[in-house]
Amino acid sequence: MTQRSKVPVRLLILGSLLCTATFSAAASPELPPWSEKALRDDIDIDALAASKDDPIPVLRALGEHLFSAKFTTLDGAGRPDATGAIVPTKVRRPLPQSFQRLAGPDANACASCHNEPVDGGAGSFTANVFVSEQFESADFDTIDPQFSNERNTNALQGAGLIELLAREMTSDLRKQRKDLLEMARASGQPEKAALNTKGVSFGFLTAYPDGTLDVGALDGIDHDLTLRPFSQKGVFASLRQFTVNAMNDHHGIQAGERFGAVWTGSDDYDGDGYPDEMSPGQISALVAWQATLPAPGRKPDLPGIWQDAAREGEALFGEIGCAACHVPALPLDNLVFHDPGPFDTAGTLRQSDVAAPLALDLGTLDWVRALQRDAQGRVLVPLYGDLKRHTIADPVNDTFGNELLAQRFVARDVFITAELWGIASTAPYGHRGDLTTLSEAILAHGGEAAQSREAYAALLEKDRQSVVAFLRSLEIAP
Amino acid sequence: MKRQGLPLAAALTAALLSTPVPAAENGAPASLAPIPRFQEEAATAGIQHSYDGAWEFFVGGGVAVFDCNGDRFPDVFLAGGKSPAQLYVNASTTSGPLKFDRSGSGLSDKQSRNVLGAYPLDFDNDDILDLVLLRLGENLLLRGRGDCRFEVANRTLGFDGGRAWTTAFSATFEAGLAYPTLAFGNYVDRSAPGSPWGTCHDNALVRPVTTGTGAVSYPEAQRLSPGYCALSMLFTDWNRSGEASLRISNDRHYYRGGQEQLWAVPPGRPPRPYRKSDGWQHLKIWGMGIASIDLDVDGFPEFALTSMGDTKLQKLDDEADETVPIYRDIAFDLGVTAHRPYRGDDLKPSTGWHSEFQDVNNDGLWDLFIAKGNVEAMPDFAAYDPDNLLLGQWTGKFVEAGEGAGIALDRRGRGAGMADFNADGLLDLIVVNRSAPVSLFRNLGRGSADAPKPLGNWLAVEIRQPRQGNIKAVGAKISVKTGNRTVVKDVQVGAGHASGQMGFIHFGLGVAERANVRVRWPDGDWSHAYRVFANGHVIIERGAEKVKLWYPE
Repeated sequence: MTQRSKVPVRLLILGSLLCTATFSAAASPELPPWSEKALRDDIDIDALAASKDDPIPVLRALGEHLFSAKFTTLDGAGRPDATGAIVPTKVRRPLPQSFQRLAGPDANACASCHNEPVDGGAGSFTANVFVSEQFESADFDTIDPQFSNERNTNALQGAGLIELLAREMTSDLRKQRKDLLEMARASGQPEKAALNTKGVSFGFLTAYPDGTLDVGALDGIDHDLTLRPFSQKGVFASLRQFTVNAMNDHHGIQAGERFGAVWTGSDDYDGDGYPDEMSPGQISALVAWQATLPAPGRKPDLPGIWQDAAREGEALFGEIGCAACHVPALPLDNLVFHDPGPFDTAGTLRQSDVAAPLALDLGTLDWVRALQRDAQGRVLVPLYGDLKRHTIADPVNDTFGNELLAQRFVARDVFITAELWGIASTAPYGHRGDLTTLSEAILAHGGEAAQSREAYAALLEKDRQSVVAFLRSLEIAP
Repeated sequence: MKRQGLPLAAALTAALLSTPVPAAENGAPASLAPIPRFQEEAATAGIQHSYDGAWEFFVGGGVAVFDCNGDRFPDVFLAGGKSPAQLYVNASTTSGPLKFDRSGSGLSDKQSRNVLGAYPLDFDNDDILDLVLLRLGENLLLRGRGDCRFEVANRTLGFDGGRAWTTAFSATFEAGLAYPTLAFGNYVDRSAPGSPWGTCHDNALVRPVTTGTGAVSYPEAQRLSPGYCALSMLFTDWNRSGEASLRISNDRHYYRGGQEQLWAVPPGRPPRPYRKSDGWQHLKIWGMGIASIDLDVDGFPEFALTSMGDTKLQKLDDEADETVPIYRDIAFDLGVTAHRPYRGDDLKPSTGWHSEFQDVNNDGLWDLFIAKGNVEAMPDFAAYDPDNLLLGQWTGKFVEAGEGAGIALDRRGRGAGMADFNADGLLDLIVVNRSAPVSLFRNLGRGSADAPKPLGNWLAVEIRQPRQGNIKAVGAKISVKTGNRTVVKDVQVGAGHASGQMGFIHFGLGVAERANVRVRWPDGDWSHAYRVFANGHVIIERGAEKVKLWYPE
């Protein structure tokens, strides 16, 4: 059995490169240069956090390599004894194939799917994945929709800012909950309040004097008031949680922080002969790379006719109600991305699991500096989203109601608002990636978006084209 | 008919083949499951209490853990033996150090003495927890009046507390009865000729009678004879029949011709002991405490029985008909015999008392706590006999972690209880010690007193039937499913050693951040699945579409 040797990170003095001491990833020295292992380097995140070094360049370098690396069996790729479930789950019978497009593992590298227009981006229909909880139907080997939901690959550009927004909104909502509970305890009466953060409403809470809480009127968020911004459904709280899950699901690479001996009784839960396949440092590198991917922006150097149409289309986009959910920008107070984050739970490295979290100051990045700020100095994140889940299908407009399985307590016709930044670079559209034009995607909306859809449909063709022109100006820089 | 389900022994064998349990430095197996750190802080928490007295108080020493003032933080009532029992109201702040304030219990000085044990229970269905006090002499039913005030209700309820030496208790809600049936286990009849040898007192079953006004009274006790010096008893649906039987663990030290007991308690009919012809196997132990949990979730609970020497862990025999109470001892296979001290050089056998299955590290696996301590100065048994904390492993076995957890004090443990006293999601521990201060351990997770750190994810569940008797749903089963894995726990009154608990039922969820919770209500009806998120307190009211949440802040 070949094992990845874990060498403590070295504090290298690279006087010729930098004036100060800096970290580099520690490599396995015994590997020959032609090694087929992708997981060669590691980073001691405790030491890195304790150092004065900027963690971003250290982590990004390794993260970029890992995101595009094609993992091999020498890395522990494959999970013969485990399913792709978010909770360690054993298969019920041996899998006949090491790769499988449905139950997975279904990809060689992260970038195998996240690659349009650049690594970290979206994917074509050919890069769709089949999402199943992988508990009851752990060994599904059919495309019968009762066993999985087919999903298109999301782009990750700007994900760091998205997670920071979600963290601030979670904190804000939880503070409102705390205040409401205190109010009910003080008044001795039930107290009801509307929840709203960054201009987005999340329904109502009712608190009672005994500290109990009625969460039945919450809207678009989980009962624990953790805003989970990632995936088409909005079911991952952090890039870290998403990454740990994806590494297992898509590659069969199991991170020790969830699949290790502490939580499973085995350091080789998937039974492929490779213990502790991915370290906290390697997960942090992947997180940092994703979190620092430049946010999408506006397509530069548009011809005049497109500029004019886009301007008109942007105005119409607001007028017909699209911007009610696809909010053009949300304000962000703090640009320091801590990893681990504040709201992860056991199974994803937590801040309580480390001496101190890594602090990635996204404000040091040029593309973040270039973002607009509001009068209070807050960065305006131009996501065209609200980080809220909505019912998006109805009996008349049922295109987006095409899934048969709920996912992690989220009903089948409910999805988180897709952020539209970068939409020009992420065709095809819809959560299944089966809509080839933006107009088709708009007309597919139903449920809470039905009124906007009707308004769009009622526009003159010229105006509909303007909306498309606007959307086609929102791109991921190639 | 053979029972279905994965035999525990088979699962165990398969697991043992795959992952060996590593050995610690002293050769004992080391725990792969995380070991929580406990800090003893009774004195700083404000609890000053000791269980004392002569021979009659070598046994007993219980603690009732329950919420007496409606704030959902667990309070404690401590038996004192010859010293007065004491009530301490929880004043801990969320996730902070433990803090308790002594409070008057409403008992006279005389009533507060000679108390051996206490069990919380809402016996009058007013949604305020009451207390049943086990005493040397008259047992007392204390009606809770709210705000931690109590009044003796024996006369009101027509209850004769008797004059026996009562050492065990359990209660159940029988089919067709709105109020609970009470069972009292008695020890030696000191007035009998030849006492104490072979003079065990009969036990008693007291069924409720609903008066013309709809209130409850307990006018008549039925004798459960013969009694064999009971030290723990539990109403349990051992055979998945929906009807609880009464299991009694007895002290062979004093009985002659006795054994462990199981009584059928058919509704409206006299109790009847299971006999050899019913399949009941003769077992003689120094039975002192019962803990029950369904380890393999086959619907048939396992029973840990503490004793002098080895602890038993009984599992219904796979080969037997499910209507026949034939049990196999799997304690050795699973590593829970705990038959001698795990620390020190003393090879003498250990003496086990209160026992309780809980998940102290929130990894989703049941752990077993056992209070240990020499009876008084028995020379053939270990003098230094630290309490056990046997952590469940993914192999199905258990590994001792009492020393690493910091609970290996040199005190003679008796009754105990585990509850989350500071609402931080980590179960704390209170142990009543004989002639020594109460031990109050705060669970710090993997952190320190200054900075406690969580372990696995967790869930605390309270269930209620608000518009009917048995509001606290005694007899219900709570099923918590994460992924493909399900754990279950029954809501029961009884077991342990002279110590009862009522409040949130705690579940460890490991790395799962969501769970589906179902409740089998006492009448057998199953609820729908409630979808809940980890790391919080949820309240499930019968018939409600969604859970309510509770926040301690």
